[in-house]
This record gives sequence, C-alpha cells and structure tokens, in this order.
Amino acid sequence: MKNPYQALGLTAAATQDEIKKAYRKLAKKYHPDLNPGNKSAEARFKEINNANELIGSAEARDKFDRGEVDTEEASARAQQQAREYYYQTQDRGAGRYGQSFSAGADDIFESLFGSRQKTRSADELYKMDLDFKDALLGAEKEITLPSGKRLLVKIPPGIESGKKLRFAKQGNNGADIYVQLNVAESPLFTRMGNNIELELAISASEALVGAEVKVPTLTGAVMLNIPPLVSTGQKLRVAGKGVKGKGDQFVKIKIVNPSASSGAMDEEFKAAVKAWSKRHPFNPRSENERSL
Amino acid sequence: MNETRQFFSLFEVCQDTGLTQELVFHYIEQEWISPHSAVLPEEKCMDHEDLARIKLILELQQDFGINDDAIPVILHLIDQLHGLRNDILKSREENQL
Repeated sequence: MKNPYQALGLTAAATQDEIKKAYRKLAKKYHPDLNPGNKSAEARFKEINNANELIGSAEARDKFDRGEVDTEEASARAQQQAREYYYQTQDRGAGRYGQSFSAGADDIFESLFGSRQKTRSADELYKMDLDFKDALLGAEKEITLPSGKRLLVKIPPGIESGKKLRFAKQGNNGADIYVQLNVAESPLFTRMGNNIELELAISASEALVGAEVKVPTLTGAVMLNIPPLVSTGQKLRVAGKGVKGKGDQFVKIKIVNPSASSGAMDEEFKAAVKAWSKRHPFNPRSENERSL
Repeated sequence: MNETRQFFSLFEVCQDTGLTQELVFHYIEQEWISPHSAVLPEEKCMDHEDLARIKLILELQQDFGINDDAIPVILHLIDQLHGLRNDILKSREENQL
C-alpha cells in the first residue's frame, strides 16, 4: 500500500490543514461518481480515501506517525468495506433516478426539462404496519410520503387488517393516496369482530370456589371476579374492553393443574379430594353416556 | 441489477450513514431522494439506490464542501448524465445488432 502522504501528494511535514485541502482536491477529481465507469479513477479514489482514513484527523495521524497502525490491515479493512457507488446503481438503465431523465420513448427535451414528478399521476398505495391495540382503539400516525409530504393518518377504532384508507387528492398531481393497513397479531388477544378474547389460566381451587384475579386488557389490567364453579371453555365478559365504543373482552377460562413433579399434589391432598368426591359424586360425562 | 436489489429501513439507513432520522427526512423533503414507499421507522422503504445516493450527498456536503443550495443542481445534472449515458449505450448496442 502506498504511503498515505504520497497518496495525497504531500510529505510527512504537511500540516493538518494541508492534508484536508489535498484530500478534498483529489477526491473531487477522482470521485467514482464524477468518473462513472473509470476503473483507474476509482482505484485512485480508494487510495486517497484510505490515506484520509489514516492521516485525515490529528488523532489518526498521531497513531500512524507513531507506527501503531498496521497499514496492510487498514487496507484490507477498507477493501472489505468496499461500497456500492451511486453510478453503479444507475448503470445500464437500472436506476430509478437516472431513468426518469432517459429519453426512452419520450421527447428528449421534455424529459430533460420536465420534472420527475410529472411522470406520476396514478393513485398511490402505501402499506403501513399497525399495532393490534391501535387497530382496536384507534390512533393517529404521521407518515412521510416519498415526495417528502407528511400525512396524518387517523385510524378509526376497529379497523381490520388489509383495509385501505383513502386520502383524496393528497398525492402527486392530485392523485389519491391509499394507505393499506397491516394489523399485527397480539400474543395475548384474539380478535372476534368487535370483541376480543383472552385465555385465562386459573387453578382448580380458583375454579371451584371462585376468586378475584388480575386480567390484562388493552387499556391496562383490571380485577375480574370469577364466580365459583366455572369450567374450562366458559367465557366471562369484561364490558367495554374490545373495539373502542363497540365491543367487549371475553375471558375464556382454562383450568390448569400443577405438574406432577411440583409436589403440590401431596398424599394429604389426594386423600382429602378422594374422600370429598365420594361424598359428593359428580360425573361430567353423564349426559354423553345417556345419549350413547 | 434486480438480483442485487436490497431494501433498508430508516433505522438501517441511519446506522449505515451516521445520519439522524431528521436529516433523512430533510433529504426526502428536499426531493434529493425519493423512496419507493412511505417512510415508517420499521418499513424497508429505501433501496440500495437510495442508500448510495445518500452517501454521495453526504460526500458532496462533507468532503466537497458543497452547500444545500447546490446539491439539487448537482443531483439533477448527475441524473441527466446517467439518463443520457444509458441512452447512448442503448443506441450503440442497437446499432451494433
């Protein structure tokens, strides 16, 4: 690798200001975007850039001058960081930006002096991700359009995934804008129209004698009164906690027993339950058995 | 070039270029870059072309000392250059056929 001072056409006695000036002067001359497709200019620019990395700031230069920089390693790192230059994205009509000035089928002068924006007139569709909660309760989101214009999107409560909101004449050349919403799923709640459902695990003893438990809702936790003798699958209603102003939240009961290894079901407990069941026989399958 | 087309979110672009979100919005408002979809923080709204263009603008500003007023003039001329370059290449290829 070339000595960075030589690469910038300087000697080691150069001042920091001279280094900056030399770098800017050479970068302007050899920048790949000002020399599209010129491989030797690109190689020279890399060299200049490398030199600037090594001695462009007083701090880096001190390190380099003290011999603390492995120039081979720095050069390899620069190679690794090789980037795509803008001209490469526009090569052979591949780029959007250059294409809008390409004569193509149009009159060349029209495309040279016409604005890029003129080519757009059709309705514009944008996609937007939305939280489960915002879709249920409604929200206001500001988005920035590719034209730079900011648009306030008011999300009505209860909007469903895939629905489009229309903004008349907000696009380029008076085009309509559509914002299509993609509503995220919730790890807790399932949507059922205007209502939402939450599965709630309770213990067998809570199911038998009832309890007051904390239940999450879209607007924070509430205390829910579980009446005695509820069964798995039974749904309890929490009013007004679904789609704002329209729906409720249903809490679906799921009875969960401790695992066998937890030791919660000890011999004393088993004996007590057996004795109690004998005195209060209950067969939840009796109806099924009758119909067989 | 389509096979190399990559998309980046606003976060990724800021991380890669060191620009703040506000500055990226400024570039968009000035119409220096024109992302293909609405710019939302998580959305992959910019492609490799936008990213390379942002880096070019940054170099024009920081290394070449070009002020904001001259940036659109330079970009406009560069866009024209690429358009014309492609037209010349295309017509040269057609003439060879």
